[in-house]
Order: sequence, then structure tokens, then C-alpha cells
Amino acid sequence: MSNSTPYVSLSGMSKSFGGVKVLKEVSFDVRPGEVHALLGENGAGKSTLIKMMSGLYMPDAGTITVDGKELRFSSTRDAGAAGIATVYQELLLFPELSVAENVFLGNYPRTATGIIDWTEVRRRTRDLLDQLDTYDLDVDTKVLSLSVAQRQRVEIAKALSKNARILIMDEPTASLVESDVQRLMAVVRQLRERGVGIVYVSHRMPEIFALADRVTVLRDGAHVATRDIDEVDENQLVSMMVGRSIESLFPKANATIGDTVLRVTNLNHGRHVRDISFDLRRGEILGIAGLVGSGRTELALTLFGMTPATSGEIKMEGRTVRIGSPRQARDLGIAYVPEDRGQQGLVKAMAIRKNVSMATIERLSSGIFIKAGEEAQRALDAVKRLSIRCRNIGQPVGELSGGNQQKVVIAKWLETMPKVLILDEPTRGVDVGAKAEIHTIMGELVKQGVAIIMISSELPEVLGMSDRVLVISSGQITGEIDRADATPERVGAAMTAHRSGEAA
Amino acid sequence: MTTTVEATARSRPTPQRPGFFKRLFAEYGQEIVVLAAIVVLFAIVTMVNPRFISANNLTTIFSGNAYIAVAAIGMAMVIVTGNIDVSVGALIGVLATISGSLAVAGYPIWFAWLAPVVVGMAVNAVIGILVAYARIPSIVVTLGALSILRGGLISVTGGTWITDLPPAYLIAQKQVFGLPVPLVFMVVLTLLAAFWMRYTAFGRSLYAIGGNAEAALATGIPIARRTVAVFVIHGAFAGLATILFATQLQVIQSTVPPNLELTVITAAVIGGVSILGGSGTVIGSTLATILFATIGSALIFVNVSAYWLRAVIGLLILATVLADMLRRRGRGA
Amino acid sequence: MNLKSLIRHETFLALLLVVVLIVLSFQSDRFFTVDNLLNQGRLMTEIGLIAIAMTFVIATGGIDLSVGSILGLTAILTGVFWQNVGLPLPVAATAAIAAGTFAGFVNGVIITRFRVPPLIATLATLALYRGLAEGISQARSVRGYPEWFYVLGQKDVLGVPTQLWILLLAAVVASIILAYTTWGRTVYAVGSNEVASRFSGLSVEKTKLALYTASGFAAAVAAVIFVSRVSTTRSDMGTGIELDAITAVVLGGTSIFGGRGTVIGTIIGLCLIQALKNGLSLAGIKGDGTIMLIGAVLILAILASNLFERSGTRT
Repeated sequence: MSNSTPYVSLSGMSKSFGGVKVLKEVSFDVRPGEVHALLGENGAGKSTLIKMMSGLYMPDAGTITVDGKELRFSSTRDAGAAGIATVYQELLLFPELSVAENVFLGNYPRTATGIIDWTEVRRRTRDLLDQLDTYDLDVDTKVLSLSVAQRQRVEIAKALSKNARILIMDEPTASLVESDVQRLMAVVRQLRERGVGIVYVSHRMPEIFALADRVTVLRDGAHVATRDIDEVDENQLVSMMVGRSIESLFPKANATIGDTVLRVTNLNHGRHVRDISFDLRRGEILGIAGLVGSGRTELALTLFGMTPATSGEIKMEGRTVRIGSPRQARDLGIAYVPEDRGQQGLVKAMAIRKNVSMATIERLSSGIFIKAGEEAQRALDAVKRLSIRCRNIGQPVGELSGGNQQKVVIAKWLETMPKVLILDEPTRGVDVGAKAEIHTIMGELVKQGVAIIMISSELPEVLGMSDRVLVISSGQITGEIDRADATPERVGAAMTAHRSGEAA
Repeated sequence: MTTTVEATARSRPTPQRPGFFKRLFAEYGQEIVVLAAIVVLFAIVTMVNPRFISANNLTTIFSGNAYIAVAAIGMAMVIVTGNIDVSVGALIGVLATISGSLAVAGYPIWFAWLAPVVVGMAVNAVIGILVAYARIPSIVVTLGALSILRGGLISVTGGTWITDLPPAYLIAQKQVFGLPVPLVFMVVLTLLAAFWMRYTAFGRSLYAIGGNAEAALATGIPIARRTVAVFVIHGAFAGLATILFATQLQVIQSTVPPNLELTVITAAVIGGVSILGGSGTVIGSTLATILFATIGSALIFVNVSAYWLRAVIGLLILATVLADMLRRRGRGA
Repeated sequence: MNLKSLIRHETFLALLLVVVLIVLSFQSDRFFTVDNLLNQGRLMTEIGLIAIAMTFVIATGGIDLSVGSILGLTAILTGVFWQNVGLPLPVAATAAIAAGTFAGFVNGVIITRFRVPPLIATLATLALYRGLAEGISQARSVRGYPEWFYVLGQKDVLGVPTQLWILLLAAVVASIILAYTTWGRTVYAVGSNEVASRFSGLSVEKTKLALYTASGFAAAVAAVIFVSRVSTTRSDMGTGIELDAITAVVLGGTSIFGGRGTVIGTIIGLCLIQALKNGLSLAGIKGDGTIMLIGAVLILAILASNLFERSGTRT
């Protein structure tokens, strides 16, 4: 399947930022027609390594050899010219421009007179998308109206347009749902057949075992091992990544389940929240599974008052309530840890102290004045209780790692003493160690009687953590499954099911 | 269920494309709205007062405001890259004084025309460098430049007008092919700029920079150099606008219309250039300039007191902005 | 780190102010006199009041370009209510201030309800309010106010110009609000990340609405002081004052992108500008030359603080 001479090899790559060594003499290579998985916790140096491969960073030391020639990349253009293209995690596209233009931007086909040949741009984009079996995407659509999976397809088409020999994919499935993951994996296999070498960065083990030919693990900026995929198993990889073995990924705590705290009846909002009814009890973790766009997050936003319900009834502890804004939700004891941590969860430029107090700032005030001492004390307590790793509580949250940032968001909402805590993708973009810590925190909370609603795209997480699983599809509940009966097959089937009488 | 969907998709190589008009509207929605507003306004006012479409009045509408449209072309480009320039009004004042002084001092006419373009480019090169390399937000740099240029203008001219301009210098009062020069300037420059922004890689890169700077960098677009370049081009358009502005009367006043920079920015924005960068065209900015001029003229023709002119224009700008916001929101939801 | 760099900018600016004051007092012995300094305080009150409100607005990541027009409109209304409508002057001034405040409220409504970017919204109302002022005044100015009215703009209280007391009070109250209250915290949070603020249950819309209303109020109060100081009303009063106020705010270290800024910084920026204007004119340089210098100072100050900050954070 794969040719054994590497197309690209990096050796002795080192990089420091402001005196901190983030990469120490790492070597890495990619052969044509192979999928080489790159693994490591957040901060292990994966992004730095791929940014050097794609010409965004210059290495302090080390050499890059492409097709036998030693090269220096001083810009992404150089890397592009050497046949290396990158599909970034944050999908670097231009929302106001069309699909076709995004594919060929900076690389336009020209007419004889030297001006951009738009007919050719559109025709070739159509070709590339067809090659990726993406017939359902119009080349004239503005990118802002596309889904994440579609945008990713545009990025891949862009890489192919430059005849990339090596394609770097940085956590391509992090924000995809299962069905899109399958489609993406098919695309990756197809590219491999064509002889493209693929660097595949991912946290998700099943994908790595399904796709990769070889795997390289980094830890703390150093190279740990490079192995053929059949030489290793999941446990070995995880212990290589974290430097210790993780006992249990989903430490489900057994809490006593109490009275119903939240009762939702026939809740509606727009097309994405339709006729939703369920109960939530104290000490319970209710998992919500569903594809992206199924209405999971929209349901959370409606419960949280961001998009107030247009009809239906919400009862908190038996009392009918109206939730018209996040403020009202908060005052009723509903907290929401959002999906998009950077945009919705945190004010990154602000100190930990101010982020922790953000939802309770009125309570921390006498009159209009903030009680600074109490604010600091509460932040210190939160840092200790959730073991948030930071220099001090005055440190801007933006400087923390993903896992610690997430703990700050959780801390902020725990300050409100919630009765119902909604966690939307609580462990996305969080490394293995911090993930386990967040799960432990969830366990402690339910023991204290908090009711948790957990939305997650990761099926193992949903199955591992939930007492009960609610499956949502097209804005409606298509399954309510108890922990004992929750198998990947049952939940998966409900995720793609439609309620009778409803068209797709 | 899913498999059948896949299958039909596969067997259909061309996806459904939205209709021509729908695409036209999606791409040029704001331009079409502005154009429609101009047409409707013309129709209504002409019904009230047929002299409105007399050649004389049309010349006033188009020629008298052509310099604003030309300045708005450069402004539109700057705003597309996500920057802004609040100093262009003062710059035009300074350039007009330079140009007029040269003409009166007896330098060749072509030199008096060329000078504002060159000086405009040089001044804006400095602004561009401060924005792109010193990383000072453009509104701050141009706010400073506004003070410098405004103060410079008054201290150099001392508030006196430039008179005795050589007749050959007054190009804005001449005609080519029976059309007023300012009108020709405006149309030709708008079309050239529109073509450049649509059909060259350089022009497209402005949208990339304004739309997503990080992605533009990853695509290998030299953002800093392009930012300087766009300011320099904007300076050239300010210079061209100056030629029209300085030569439209027999004298050059030591002041420019107050808030000229805001008028120019408003034209660009009402024409559909997103103030956040990344979208909009110069056709829109020129149409918006024409719309303002038409409104101004129409109000006189329907006998609105001159004192209320600005209030009505302000109200109309506000109405256009609100309508645009509602339209966008409708599309976004 | 954030706080440190902020203090650094203000310290730097304060030092610059001290240097400027020393240099100017050597230039002219008429500069560093109590009379002159107090008189300068009188002259900067109108911009100062507007700049203080503008500090809040810019700290939320917004901007208010319409303040000059609101000032003009309020000034005209004061005259019209008093002379043409025949209201007693205190009532007329109060009504005019209410109208100016309402103009600010309208800005707020356009920005929060219709989601129009502040720059565009206030650009439009800049034209509208100035147009209303012109339409109402019909190019007539109102003069001949009663003598007691000039206390506000031309007389002293306890040896200090009356309006300087107002500015001082406004500065102190505003500093406290911005630094120590939930309201101030909300301003910074909204300026740094509006979405997250909304998700944290902060009342983003209400805060913004209040700020633009306050900005209108500040401009309106400035208008009455202005009228009292110059003894007349004209519809072009306050033209361009928005840019002067923004210059003071930005010079004072408030980030134009929001999330950062202090009232004390704005006041130092304001003093620096006024000292330069006055000192240079005493030194025989014409007023227009000083406008140029202010522009240069603005750019250089931000450039310098940018350089300091970059060397500070990239360690």
C-alpha cells in the first residue's frame, strides 16, 4: 500500500517560544500513500510540529527534507510549492466568499490576458468536489452558510487544487458527528489510494486504529515513539501519551437519584426544538446524544433562555416557570457550560478571578460595589476545588490550557449553586488527563444532588457517564434509553431515526 | 433512508443551482437596493417637477458629487480590508491647496494635476505603514492624521482662498465627447476599480484580508504589504478626487465641506461595504454617492427648505441602514 | 499582566504630561500661572464630559460619533425653548438636556435593538441630529441670555471655574463606577467578549443602551455649558468635537477594540492635549500648528505604548 521512502522527513526539529522549549529535537516522516497518525496531549507539540511542516513557523533547529532535497520553508507558500497542504482545525476559510473562490484563493487560474478566469475557477472546483463525492455543494454558495463538515470538504478540495502530495489534517473530526466522520474517513482512504501521504492528528482512538498505517506519539515536546499501527494497542498509546496509565476513562460515580427537579413538557422553539418532553431528577446525569444540527444545543439554549421557548411548559421543582433570558435561567438555578468555550464561555483577556465571578457578580456586591476580597477568596477556593492549574487568580484565562479553561467555565457556573447544570461538549478539545478530571468533578456534583444534562458527540462519553440517554434527531426526541440498555447500536440507531410521519 | 439519499446524490452530477436572479441578488443585493432607490426617487421627483431630469440638473447631481464617489472608491477598498480612514477629507483639502498653489505659481498644468495624486499616495503610504507594521489600529492612525492634515491646511493657507486659477487647469468644468469630465472620471474609475477588485488576484486578496486575516496569512497573502498598498491606492484615489474637487470652481477654498470623510465613509457603507471588512463593491459606493446627491437635489425640487436638507438626508441614511440590517437579519436567520 | 501594561501606559502618559508642563512653563512665564491653568480647565470641560462618557462607550468596543451633533442640537433647543417657546431658562435648558439624552437613547436603541454596528449607527445620527439642529435653528443664533446663566460657563465657584467642578465630579464618579462596580465590570466584559458576557447572564443590551444614553446626556450637559461659556447658540456648535473626544480617550490608553481603559487615563490625555494647545499658542505658535502636534502626539503615544507592551508581554 505505501511506498517505504518518505516524501517528507523532518529531523531534529526544535522550537522555543520566549525561552520555553515547546519542541525538542523531534523527528518525523511521511511516506506517499500512508496515513501517519500524530498523537499527544494538548501542549505536547503536535501543532508546533505541523505548523513548521506547513511553513507557518520557522524551526530554531532541524532540517526538512522533501523528496530528497533539503528545504527551508519561510512561508506557507514555500510549503505549498513543496506539495504540503494543511487542513487546519479552525478551518481557515473566508465566510463572505464563495466555495469556488475559497478553493482557488491565492492560486487562481488566469486567462491569456492574466485576469482571473472565473468560469475555470468554478469548473475546476466542481471537479474537485465531485472527486470528493461532494455533489451536493454548490460552488457559488457563500461559505458562511455551510456546515462544518461541508467547510472541511472545501478545505480538502483546496489542498487537492494545489496537487498536494502531503495533506496534514489537524483534528479533522473534532467537530464532526458520526455520519460525517464516516464520510471523512472514506475521503481519507481515497486520498491514500491516490498516493497522497496524510498526517492525521486526532484524539480519537477508534479513528486512528481504523485509518492509520503508522503512529507517532509526542509528549512534552519530545518524540516518544513511532510504531506501525498493528504493533500497538489503545492502552499502550494512551500511556505513551500521558506517561502513566489511565485506570478508567469514565469514572461513573453512583449517586442517589432523588426527586424530579426539572420537568419539560412539549417544549418548542423554531425547527430545532420540537415537542420536547422529559424529566430530570436530582443526582442524575442525563446524556443527550444526537447529530450536529439535530437540535441538542438548541434545546440547551432554550432551557437557558438564550432562545426562549415559543410554547410548552417548564417546571422547576414543581413550579411552572418562564425562562426568557440567561439571567432568569441563572436565578432559577439553571447553568449552562457552552459548546464554544472561547467565544461563549470565557472572556479570555480577563483574569481567572473575574471570569469565575462573572455570573454571580451582583451577589458578590454590596449595593453597586464589588466586594473584591470575597471575589478573590471565592476564586481561590474554586481554583483549589477544581484543581485549576494557573500561576495565580490574576492570570488571564486565555493563557491556560484547554482543560483548565473549561474548569474555569465550570467554576463560574458552580458559583451560582445550580440545581440543573447543562454541559455542552464538556470535554471537547480537552486532553486525556483533564478529561478524566472533568468527569470526576461531574461525579462529585451529582453526589451533592446537582442534576446534570450532558450533551456530547462522543458516544463512549455519553454511554459511560449517563444514567439515562435522551436521543434527539431533527429537533425531536427519538429515544430515551436507560443506562443498562444503552448500547452504541441502540443510541446510534435512534440518532438517525425520524419520528413517524416526519419526512427527512 | 440515508442510502437512498446518497444514491440519488451520486447519480446527479450537477446540484441544483439557485436561479440567476437569486444569485445576482445574493451577490449584489445592496447595490440593487441602492439602484432601485435612485430609480424610484427619480421617477417620483420627476412626476412632481419634470425639470428634475433636465440636463442641467443631472449635470449638477452627477458632476458636483463625482469627487465624493471617486474618494469613496479608495475608501471602499480600505474598508474591505477591515480598516478605515477618517482623514481623507482633510487630505483632500491639503491636496487641493497644493495643486491649486502649483497651478497659480505657473507650474505646468499636468504637474499641478499629478502632484495631489503623488502626495496623496505618499501620505497614505505613511499611514499604511503605521497600520500594517506598527500595528496601530487604522482609526487611531487616521484620527491623528486628520489632526495633522487639518492643522497643516489651516496653518499653510491661513484661511485664504486660492484665486486666479488658470482656465486650462479647471478640468472639472470641461467636457469630453459631450459629457462632463467629472462624470467620465467617476464612471471610468468605478468600472476600472470594480474590474480590478473582481478579476485580479491582488484585488481579491483585499477581500481575503478583511474576511479572515488569519486564513489570509495561512494562504500566503502578505497582509502587511497589501495593507500598505491599499492605503497607497486609496491615496491615489484621494488625489484623483482632489483634481475634480479643486477644479470645479474658479477658486479653491481653504476648507473642505465639513465631515467630508464621514460622507465618504457613509457612501461606502450604504453602498454595501461591510464595516467589518470582507465584502462590498465600489459599484455600490458610487451608486450610494449618486443616491445622496439625488436625494439632496430632489429635496430642493420638492421645495424642502435648505435648512432641513441635512436632517432629511440623515433620516434617509438611517432608514437605509435599518432596512439593510433587517434584510441581513432576514437572510441570516 | 493586563493590569500592569495598563498602568504602564498611564504612567508613561502622566510622565509625558509632566515633561510637557515643565517645557511649556519654561517657554512662557504666562503658562504656569493659576489663572491660566484654571482657564484651560474651563476650556476643556465640554470635551472632557463627552470624553468621559466616550471612555465607557469605547471600552465596550463601541463608538459614538454623534456627540458633536447632539451637542449642537441641545444648544439650539436650549435657545429655541427659551426664546421662541418662551419657557423659563432653567426649564428650557432641562428640556433641551432631556432631548439630547433622548437622542443618545435613540442611538442605543438602534445599536441594541437593530444590531447596527455603532460606527454606522452614530454616523447616520451624526447627520440626522446636525440636520435637525440646522432645520430648527434656520441659521438664526440666539443671544442675550440672562446674566445669572453665565455663572455656569464664565464665572467661578470658590475660585475655580464652575464647570471645572462639574468635570471633576463627573470624573470621580465615573472612575469609581468603572473601577469598582458591577456596572464597570460589565463594561469591560462586554468589550472583551460580548457573547460570553451574554452567556454569563450579564445584561449586555441594557448596559449598552444605558451607555449611549449617558453619552447623549454628557453631550447635552456639555452643550448647555458651551452656550453659557460663549453666550450664544449656533447650529454648528460642537462640529468635530467627537474626534477630539475620541483622541483624548485613545491617547488615554483605552483600547479602540474595547475591554481596556480608565477614566484617569482619559483625563490625563485630555490635560495633555489642552496643555499643548495652550502652551504652544502662548509660545507664539498658531492654533493650527498645535492641532498638528496633537495628531502627532496621538500616533506617537500609541506607538510607544505598543512597543512597550510588546516587549513586556513577549517574554
